[in-house]
Amino acid sequence: MSRQSTGYWFILPALVVLAMLIAYPVAYTGLLSVTDSQSNFVGVKNFATVLRSRATPQAFWNTLYWVGGSIVFQVLLGTATAILLNQSFPGRSVVRSIALIPWVIPSIVAATTFAWMFHTEFGIINYMMTAPGLIEQPIGWLTNRDTVMPVLIAINVWKLFPFVAVMVLAGLQSIPKELYEAARVDGANFWEEVRHIMLPQVRPVLVAVTLLLVIWGLNSITIIYAITRGGPANSTLITPIQIFRIAFENVQFNQAAALSVMFFAVAILIVFFYIKALAAAPGEAR
Amino acid sequence: MKTSKVSVGFLAVSMLALSAGSCLAGDVVWWTPNWGEARARDLADKFMKANPDTKIKIEVTTSDGLPQRVLTTLQSGAAPDVIEVQHGWVNGYAQNNLVIPLDDTLQDRGDYVPAALDYVTWNGKLWAIPYRIETLAVIYNKGHFKEAGLDPEKPPQTWDEFVKSATTLTREGRFGFAITGGGEVGNTIFRSLPFIWMNGGDIISKDAKTALVNKPEAVEAVKFYTDFYKKKISPTSTLENDGIANRRLFIAEKVSMYQAGQFDLASIRKENPKIDIGVMQIPHPQGKNTAAILGGWSFIVPKSAKNPAEAKKFIQFLNMAENQGYFTDTFPARVSSMKLPRFDEPILAGYKAMLPYGRPAPSHKNWVQITQAYFNGVQAIMLGKEEPQEAMDNAADDIQSLLDE
Repeated sequence: MSRQSTGYWFILPALVVLAMLIAYPVAYTGLLSVTDSQSNFVGVKNFATVLRSRATPQAFWNTLYWVGGSIVFQVLLGTATAILLNQSFPGRSVVRSIALIPWVIPSIVAATTFAWMFHTEFGIINYMMTAPGLIEQPIGWLTNRDTVMPVLIAINVWKLFPFVAVMVLAGLQSIPKELYEAARVDGANFWEEVRHIMLPQVRPVLVAVTLLLVIWGLNSITIIYAITRGGPANSTLITPIQIFRIAFENVQFNQAAALSVMFFAVAILIVFFYIKALAAAPGEAR
Repeated sequence: MKTSKVSVGFLAVSMLALSAGSCLAGDVVWWTPNWGEARARDLADKFMKANPDTKIKIEVTTSDGLPQRVLTTLQSGAAPDVIEVQHGWVNGYAQNNLVIPLDDTLQDRGDYVPAALDYVTWNGKLWAIPYRIETLAVIYNKGHFKEAGLDPEKPPQTWDEFVKSATTLTREGRFGFAITGGGEVGNTIFRSLPFIWMNGGDIISKDAKTALVNKPEAVEAVKFYTDFYKKKISPTSTLENDGIANRRLFIAEKVSMYQAGQFDLASIRKENPKIDIGVMQIPHPQGKNTAAILGGWSFIVPKSAKNPAEAKKFIQFLNMAENQGYFTDTFPARVSSMKLPRFDEPILAGYKAMLPYGRPAPSHKNWVQITQAYFNGVQAIMLGKEEPQEAMDNAADDIQSLLDE
């Protein structure tokens, strides 16, 4: 037995575990998607059934809205927070810890709390706005189809911007002081430092973080499911929730698998093009 | 990615299989919901005293996620011996060959409310023993009736009277009648489908071949239901309210009437003892009968139960008239159990009067999706996205393709 193959024996247990936990479910989902509940091969029937459903395209557009809206504000707010927390001011470490709180709170707790805060009748948000006369009538934040998605996106942004902030802050702290000093000698002001030093330097971090946010966004169920369950009338139904519904509420595992396969393909495409366009872009500061 | 969802299910299955596989022969593992735990332990102790060879192992369940949990364990091949499930779930288990028939277990068939037995009968066989039955009724605030100049002892009976009373009660920041438009789908099915039934309609035909939800009787009833919201008689928050939210609003005296089961009475009394509670039948169209969905719980024995013989014996013990009357949270499925003093409370009279009008919810393998399609239609009406006829036409399209599958 050669030395090389001995090495493979050592990693075999880990590979078996990985195969069981990742490869098997993926392969089995693929199998489920082309069979019926009695395991007979049915070709693309499950795919056709799922695609025919009126909810599917709606869920797809809602997903793009949800992921896109969340990421833009998560990255903007997170980066701004990081730049702020990178300045020196009294009480900075306290503010840094406080800024992390939303990220530390479990999603389900945050979602349930926000559901109550935004409740039309009992919610503190409507109370705070009606009491001083800002609005006449309570607003149905979660029941109006124009406000419900923005509200959910705002909650998601609140939940995850601290993560962006922490990552970007770490990136900012690794920037050598000499760069700033050189810029100041050249007469650069704060905004020019941000634009020409900070942002280019943390670009790799931003690329990686945004990719993570895309994946998490495409995957997220908790916040929407806990607050609206995809309603009212599918206004906030995103594809992951649709899959969950088909599988665990309607007990149609095969159709759920078919939708999962399609969603997986779309997600892979998005991630692929993202990496191609951004991660390997020329002129990267490395 | 989402592909892992399915694998999570299988992990859960194998873990349940491990836990269920650890019991000995002669043990009966009983899954019972948490609200009846004390009484369950009491009855189990009694049974074990009389049958020292059998050990009852109680595993307490909670209502949240219970349908998924039961389905998982039934499909795992290593299920407990006795499970309590809602009547409506039984049909699906029977069709998928996950439970065993219990015709030989049922005693005193004639003593059971027929609708309850119908509910859990499929293909000529009985697949569960119903022990608890209930329907919704309308709970109302007698004080609000008086303040609005209405007679609390003469609650409205017909739809027209009901709308009139509800409109009169909508005053001083209060809402006359709260409907549901949010939460889990079942909330709105239980509260709106009876109106369709009363009016002579249904969501699907009896033979489960045709969608009927866009027929005039059904559309009229859906319009009747959603109009409470459109005409601002039901709270602004209706689209996010389920049964529990409505109860909170009633306790806060923001709402004067709402549909609820008798289990709401205790929490209203506890949280706002000032309210003088009345219970009325659900109002019906002039010259027609009221209706309600019969709800409640049954015992099933899974196909993969380790000790079906002991399980059946234990179920027979639990369903002796006296034990059934003791164990149920609401009403018992046996007529003779109903004679127990605990069911004589005057406030329960309104609920008792509803029982004869209770009907099983329709059953179909795609019923959950069918109700979801209907519920989306109801929400679309309330959102102002679609008119009732249009919304129900769309729902009927979706439902028909689910029936044709």
